[in-house]
Amino acid sequence: MPGIPSDSSSLIPFALEGSSQPPPVYPLQHGLRAPIHRIHISWSRGNLLNVTCLRPPPDQQEEMAREDDGIGGKAIEVLLGGAILEGNIGEHKRRRIAYESVKSYAFLHDKKISLAKMETGDNLSAPALTYWWQYTLEYSKSIRDILGNARLHRPLIEDPKNFLKPEEVEQPIGTKAAWELMEIFYVDMQLLSWLPERLVDWLEGYDSLLSKTETVHSKLAILQRKVTSMRVVEDEPGYWNGLAAALAVGWLDVVAKLLRLHGSYDPDQFDKRETENGLVEAVVLLVSEMPRMRPNLPNGKLGLCYQTKHDYIKGLEKWRVKVSGLESSPFWVHCNHRPTRDGLINLLHILLGDAKHIADATSHWLELFISHLLYIRPLTNGLEGMGNLAEKCMNLKPSANNGLTSLLAGILSENPEIVLADCLKAFGPWIVAHAVDLLTANSEYTDGLLNEERYQLGGASIGELYMLVYAQALASHPLTWQVAPAYLSTCLNQGRGLLEILLLRQPVQNYRVVLKTLEICHLYELGNISTHIMKMAGMYQWKHGHKGLGIYWFQQSRDKTRLSQIAHKLFDNIGKSLSDDSFKQWEGLMELLGSDVGIAGGLEFLHKYREFKRSLQQIVNGGTVEAAKKSTELLVQLMRNPSTPQRFWLPLLLDSVKLLEWRSGPLLGVSETNLLLGKLQELSMAKLRPDFHGGELKPNALGDVRLALAKNLGRAILEES
Amino acid sequence: MADSGDRRRFIYNLHEQSKPVGAVRWLPSVSPFLRLAAMSVLSPPAIEIHSFSSQSPNPNPDLNLVSSYPLPSSATSLTSFKSHNYTLIAASTSTGSLHIFSVNPYDGKIESQIISISDKDSFHCGPIQSIDVETSSTGECATAGEDGRVNLVLIGEDKVENFRVCESDGLVAYTAVKWGSPVEFVTGGVGPGLQWWDKRRPGGPVAQFKGVWGHGTVTGMIHSLDIHPSRKHTCVVGGSSGAVYAWDLRWQQQAITLAGTGLEAKSQPFSESEVWEVKYDAFTPQVSSTKVLPVMMCSEDGFLAVLQQDERPVQLLEEPCAINSFDIDPQNPSDVIVALEWESVGILSRGREETEMA
Repeated sequence: MPGIPSDSSSLIPFALEGSSQPPPVYPLQHGLRAPIHRIHISWSRGNLLNVTCLRPPPDQQEEMAREDDGIGGKAIEVLLGGAILEGNIGEHKRRRIAYESVKSYAFLHDKKISLAKMETGDNLSAPALTYWWQYTLEYSKSIRDILGNARLHRPLIEDPKNFLKPEEVEQPIGTKAAWELMEIFYVDMQLLSWLPERLVDWLEGYDSLLSKTETVHSKLAILQRKVTSMRVVEDEPGYWNGLAAALAVGWLDVVAKLLRLHGSYDPDQFDKRETENGLVEAVVLLVSEMPRMRPNLPNGKLGLCYQTKHDYIKGLEKWRVKVSGLESSPFWVHCNHRPTRDGLINLLHILLGDAKHIADATSHWLELFISHLLYIRPLTNGLEGMGNLAEKCMNLKPSANNGLTSLLAGILSENPEIVLADCLKAFGPWIVAHAVDLLTANSEYTDGLLNEERYQLGGASIGELYMLVYAQALASHPLTWQVAPAYLSTCLNQGRGLLEILLLRQPVQNYRVVLKTLEICHLYELGNISTHIMKMAGMYQWKHGHKGLGIYWFQQSRDKTRLSQIAHKLFDNIGKSLSDDSFKQWEGLMELLGSDVGIAGGLEFLHKYREFKRSLQQIVNGGTVEAAKKSTELLVQLMRNPSTPQRFWLPLLLDSVKLLEWRSGPLLGVSETNLLLGKLQELSMAKLRPDFHGGELKPNALGDVRLALAKNLGRAILEES
Repeated sequence: MADSGDRRRFIYNLHEQSKPVGAVRWLPSVSPFLRLAAMSVLSPPAIEIHSFSSQSPNPNPDLNLVSSYPLPSSATSLTSFKSHNYTLIAASTSTGSLHIFSVNPYDGKIESQIISISDKDSFHCGPIQSIDVETSSTGECATAGEDGRVNLVLIGEDKVENFRVCESDGLVAYTAVKWGSPVEFVTGGVGPGLQWWDKRRPGGPVAQFKGVWGHGTVTGMIHSLDIHPSRKHTCVVGGSSGAVYAWDLRWQQQAITLAGTGLEAKSQPFSESEVWEVKYDAFTPQVSSTKVLPVMMCSEDGFLAVLQQDERPVQLLEEPCAINSFDIDPQNPSDVIVALEWESVGILSRGREETEMA
């Protein structure tokens, strides 16, 4: 696409109307002197863009004047970043995820197909469905493992001052957070009753992803850095703020650890701080006994678990009585340290679910939402209630939304289309392609919505569309394209066609790559595609002088047309030169072509033909009568032999003229001359046929031969009579 | 179809690389604690030397990159050998160049470049598909290319000599070469099967084997050859359609099929895809002295297996992606290194820690 570039040497992508973000500008280093006359842009493999910059063609005088100007143009390759996953992980990690996830995906789909076969109807029946979410859960877990599982990595010896998880272990990736969120809401049916607690756990893992600066995690991270240098922690407002924030989102173990850093625990004290210490410890105790509506807690986490709602409510009431008892306790008067007193009372207010204190302690609306679930409405169930709560929190704490928060909002609004669209926007095609199965695991409505064939999508469903998008992303990279067929094969409407295009687009230069492509054709029973690929490979190799490989591919693809063309070309060249080298070539080619030459005994003919040509050469250079006789004998043999191709008759007859005009008497007898005349006659008839292959002969060649033969016949009759 | 082997006795570790790996080779190691391996990588093309500790308490020792030798284009063949106490690595490329360099056997650092030949007229024009170095006496490197040339490169004290053995002008594309003795070698290619060459009788191959593959119904190419030093007359071949067979120079007309639909239809195929590499396996005990020695193979459909004549194949690995290359450590034949399509390298230890695992 030629075009006139703007005066700056930059490439500006086309911006969509109404896009809020300014289009990104990528400067290209082409190293050419201005002005640039033309730019050609074309797509190469995958995300590689070929950009050719040309300077204006120099005028004659100018050329003389500026000889040393250098090159007139340059071709540059530009690799555009592909987004199989979101941006914060490396390219090789993305490919790893693509490689690993295809196994889980293929496994789940095999299961789906075998289950569908067991069921006679189109829809899975109730018992199959009950199993189905378990398969999906397994699938979801295996994908979660692929995304990285080193979330909790604790050092063997814990420093009491290290209350936060070491961050450097592995920065959590947003894709994994999004995946887990979808698993929580869509797949795991057993755990629906303690959804709030699962969200608390989820936030603990991924709080740092919500925002860079305004989260509980970032607050605690700052405190963690400072705490080693703080002498009297309880004097610092940051300490109490951090405590309140950690408590608000339910990180009870962090709270307990932080409280134990309180100065009143120090054994060398000047003042009497027993009461103060007792109060701190009382809060620690209450925090660690907080009732939680969940089956169990991971190691190191605090709280008392209750399995049923009834027990939980009873436990919660008892515990709340204790908390409010402590709040109104007379001991606070004896606590001389004011920040400690205020800080601890603030913590107790949070525990009691005071909305104002909770709002002050949290930073992000999602954190506020989680704290509401923990302390104010622990029995919230159902997406509608959560959705209303989330909306309220968003209004209370308007914070910038990112991919994760809008995903949660989408889930709570019960709109799977929005969920998938948000996911695609924030995390790329990988997650969407894999998440369709999560969304449809337990909901027939969603299943219908996403797998319904749509006319406006060319017969594809929304699910298939996302799969195709991902397959395209995979196919655009030379290392991942081999993974794409597994996804394309599950797309019933358009997958097949795209798979064929993908396979046909693979390079044919390297025979190993060709064999790998053919293997995939074999796997998906695409016989006609593999024939095409072999023909293309054959053409490439033939054009590049690799005759052996070329013929091999033509033979494999049973390309009779090209093979016979090669055979014709071969025969055209035979007879033009008689050097040993070229003869070896013909011999080799004929051997390769084997039965494809189209005549029996091709090699035998070639040898005889050469022998004849050689002896003829000797005669032309001045040979004896014996040599001429031998030559004649060879000619007659060749003419009698049925394996001599018809196309050689005329060249042989032309050659025979030299023998026919032999000065000392006729070499051919009457019967031999008649044989040649017969062949000539046959040839004249054949010439009228459309498929006649005459080669490049003079128009009157046949006449010359006929005249020579007639003369010879006359001489032979005279001789013999 | 195949015995899945006694997996309990195996230790298999997968090492993820962040780039595609072509071929892998063990390097002779001086210390039993530090093992070295060479691998050809793409983007950018290079030969990398990796080390790992085999005695580490960590059950999953990491492969550490020690050094890297850049190549002008992607490597097509890789081999390592010892010569006068030097560890040498030879690699050929897809643009027809040959590179030989030495590596420090103690730490795996690249010491010096010995050879770098690249000449379209006198050497190869096009990919050199296979190289093999004769290590027992002459130190000659045989190179076989897709351009139909076979060259011998003699590495002298101070100069490098290059002889053209065969120039087929593209009629044959050679894909494999292997030395049988200091003066004889075998080549394999596309088209007319296998050729046995003798340096003492120049002018052409001294013996040829034209195997018609699967009765002409399936693609047939030779990808790899191996000759056992104790049985120099037998050549084992791996190629298309899962074919692995042995060709005995003394019975030239018939080959012994070890696997695949190959030459005789009677044997059931173990794998039906490309067999990328074959090597004699010294670790698996030989059943009978009259039979072909055990052979290990790797395939496009992810199998690593040991084949024996008239026996069921023993499957060692079944990967979800292709195994492009493998190498058996000559010093510890129990250890196998494999290169997988999905940018990773696996190390398989057989038989060790039997008591511990059992």
